[in-house]
Amino acid sequence: MIVLQLVVNGVLLGGTYILLAQGLNLVFGVMGIVNLAHGSIITVAGLFTYWFVTHTDQSPLWLIPCVFVVMLAVGAVLQRLLLEPLAKLGTRRELLSLMVTFGLSYVIVETALNFFGSQYVSLPNLQETWSVGGLAINEALVAAGVLGALISGCLHVWLHYTPSGKALLATSQNATGAVTCGIDVRRMRGISFAIGSALAGIAGVLLILILPLSAPTADTLTILSFVIVALGGLGDYKGAVYAGLLLGLVQSGVGYYLGGDVEVVVPYLLLITFMVLRPQGLGQAAR
Amino acid sequence: MNLDARQVGQWIGRRLAAPSSAVAVGPRPLATAALVAAIACAGAVPLVTSAYVLQLATDILTFAALAYSWNVISGCTGYLSFGQVSFFGIGAYATSALVLRTGLPWYVAAIIGSAIGGASAAVLGTIMLRLRGIMFALGMLGLARILMVVSSNWDFIGGAAGLILPAQLTPVAVYFAMWVAVLVAFALNYFVLHSQWGLSVTGVRDDEVAASAIGVPTSWVKIIAFILSALAPAAVGGLVAWNRSFLDPPSAFDPTLDLQVIVFALFGGIGTLWGPALGTVTLVIVGEQFWAYLPDLQLALYGVLVIAVVLAFPGGIVGIANKFGWLRRKPVAAPAAFPVVARPAQLATSGNDAVIEVRDLTVRFGGLVALNGVSLAVKRGEMVSIIGANGAGKTTLFNAITGFVKPTEGGVFYQGKSVSDIPSHQRARRGIARTFQIPRLMESMTVWENTLLAARNGKRAAAAVDQAAWALHTVKLDSLWLELPNKLSPGQQRRLEMARALALDPTVILLDEVMAGMTRNEQGEIRAVLRHFRDLGVAAVAGVEHIISAIADISDRMIVLDRGKKIAEGTPEEVLRDPAVIESYLGKVS
Repeated sequence: MIVLQLVVNGVLLGGTYILLAQGLNLVFGVMGIVNLAHGSIITVAGLFTYWFVTHTDQSPLWLIPCVFVVMLAVGAVLQRLLLEPLAKLGTRRELLSLMVTFGLSYVIVETALNFFGSQYVSLPNLQETWSVGGLAINEALVAAGVLGALISGCLHVWLHYTPSGKALLATSQNATGAVTCGIDVRRMRGISFAIGSALAGIAGVLLILILPLSAPTADTLTILSFVIVALGGLGDYKGAVYAGLLLGLVQSGVGYYLGGDVEVVVPYLLLITFMVLRPQGLGQAAR
Repeated sequence: MNLDARQVGQWIGRRLAAPSSAVAVGPRPLATAALVAAIACAGAVPLVTSAYVLQLATDILTFAALAYSWNVISGCTGYLSFGQVSFFGIGAYATSALVLRTGLPWYVAAIIGSAIGGASAAVLGTIMLRLRGIMFALGMLGLARILMVVSSNWDFIGGAAGLILPAQLTPVAVYFAMWVAVLVAFALNYFVLHSQWGLSVTGVRDDEVAASAIGVPTSWVKIIAFILSALAPAAVGGLVAWNRSFLDPPSAFDPTLDLQVIVFALFGGIGTLWGPALGTVTLVIVGEQFWAYLPDLQLALYGVLVIAVVLAFPGGIVGIANKFGWLRRKPVAAPAAFPVVARPAQLATSGNDAVIEVRDLTVRFGGLVALNGVSLAVKRGEMVSIIGANGAGKTTLFNAITGFVKPTEGGVFYQGKSVSDIPSHQRARRGIARTFQIPRLMESMTVWENTLLAARNGKRAAAAVDQAAWALHTVKLDSLWLELPNKLSPGQQRRLEMARALALDPTVILLDEVMAGMTRNEQGEIRAVLRHFRDLGVAAVAGVEHIISAIADISDRMIVLDRGKKIAEGTPEEVLRDPAVIESYLGKVS
């Protein structure tokens, strides 16, 4: 029974993890850079949600569309000001864009520390537990997991079945080819970062429902997202779904059997182990 | 004890200012004088100033040592690390545990701690350096986190509660010990940036594949650079812990330390000799005035600074100074003028023995068969051209011979012995040289250094200089020897690749797409070099797609590949008349 319980929790956690990773994946696919500020956007969105809910007593779920729209704009501005100037730099671009997003992550986290303080907070909403066939199912975990998976599904539909999504997907697969098809790659870079940031924002809103967050968790979330993306194969959207679920399962199992201390380093250990053993990702192995 | 530290510093200073090896770099009296003056001033700091200034100076030294060490792995080797604090923490714990448990004097413990840091870098490096780019950067970030968790749970070193260390060191002792750490870290940077061995490090940063093709043992070079970048942080970690007389996991593996170190190195100029020092001194002193008013925003402002520097002047202070001609890097081991070429011309040792033999070579990439049972042999001093359309398998054949691709079946033999288990850099060192389809030159290294890196190949410094001069002279690039590769025309770049290949003292050179996209003039230059190979006893195997006429008359033999199979072989006359070859190129005429 415990195993089944862990699996259910793991899958629900995985649903949120998928969303956590897709924003990072989108940015990597189209821009070829890893956004090290990804986790700090998630964290700040989560902390803001906490602040908003405790001050207004509204449901956190109302925030999802608002955060999405605001982060779209913020992401677009950040991309235009900080990352677009680096786009033409060729081989040095990877290193310099890492530096810029690394710096950005500190700007966001330290500013958040000044506003929200360094204590861990979590939302008291949606804490009911349903008992289904002997399993204890947490309401928040269901909400976060299902919404996370649903939004990832929307992303999938957008990428594969709409002209603008297809243009973005094409750019992610081959930027040069996309240019020859008349796609404005520069615009696609802006859109990808805007949507990537917006997805990170929503992920933060959902995450605060199930995990306590504080400003210093930003790094861990960046790594967690990156591990999911890397496990699935960089730029591989389907692979990230499997990897998100896998990581959810592993973390719920490790957390139960080995304790919270080990659970925290699971993403790091997985990152190093998998990168050494399978640098091409899980997705490639399945094909 | 204070005196000792100063003497060591001065000794290192003199060693640094001395011309390196047999190569005439020329004495640099100004630099020597500046170093001596700086060290003299540094020695006077504790005597004439307040405790506040002494602490500030110690802070500067601490960060300078860390920034210089980070510069070795991330600036010089190009492996961006967000977790060098790992070695700071390892050193801090090693030193503290040694003093507490064994009662060794602190300076002995610091030296042993530094050695333990280096040893752990050797072990961790074999794992971490298999990661590239972003994987390595984040892997290192993760490593620091893992170590923090491990140390929190290890009671031998105090666990999460940390260790209380008896205050034993005077601030003056810490100050001078930090000077030693800085000078060691600086000396290591000097060594990496200005020695012939250091060229391998730059080679790894610029192009790892090309580096191993000219005989650089890239895995070793990276691990050594990683060790060098761990020594000073480990010692500094021990000293900082003693200075605070307290050590716990969050202070030992503090990730913000890496942020600060990266800011300082970046601000001064990544991968430069003076960048880390200039960046640290400027920012610590400016910051000291600033943080008093904005204590909570220090790290956020560092973040802003990183972004601003990358966007506005990614070369840092040194990059700006370079524009005015200051602080420019001197080419490694470059004499005042192009050296007199003194290498005796190597005469062809004729003979019918095969230098390279390929037997039934098959290479598959998944379902694609790139090479299908190809056999061929090349004799000493022979000029063989391998022709075939795009996708015929020429590049795969070269990659298999040089060890960049593992054959699915069949073997490669060099001078009668199988080389299947020999890594690519060893094959290059034994005499299998190659060039690439698109020239892969080390972009930050001059023509001279590109060639010298290949010429080293286990030689003494002076012999390598002679060899490089000879190779450049042979391809007639002597007048351009101090240019950077991006200033060369495509034909000249191709010849530089040939010079690099020649500098290895090879018995065979594989030239991938030897004349693609060249003007008639440039083709002529390449032809002249190819003809010369025979006089040197070097066999040449040239891959050609289009310009067959330009290569036919200088080839002894031609081999035709078509979709991975050998379809013809013989003298140029025979091959070019062969109906199968004509069909492969022009289609079947019915």
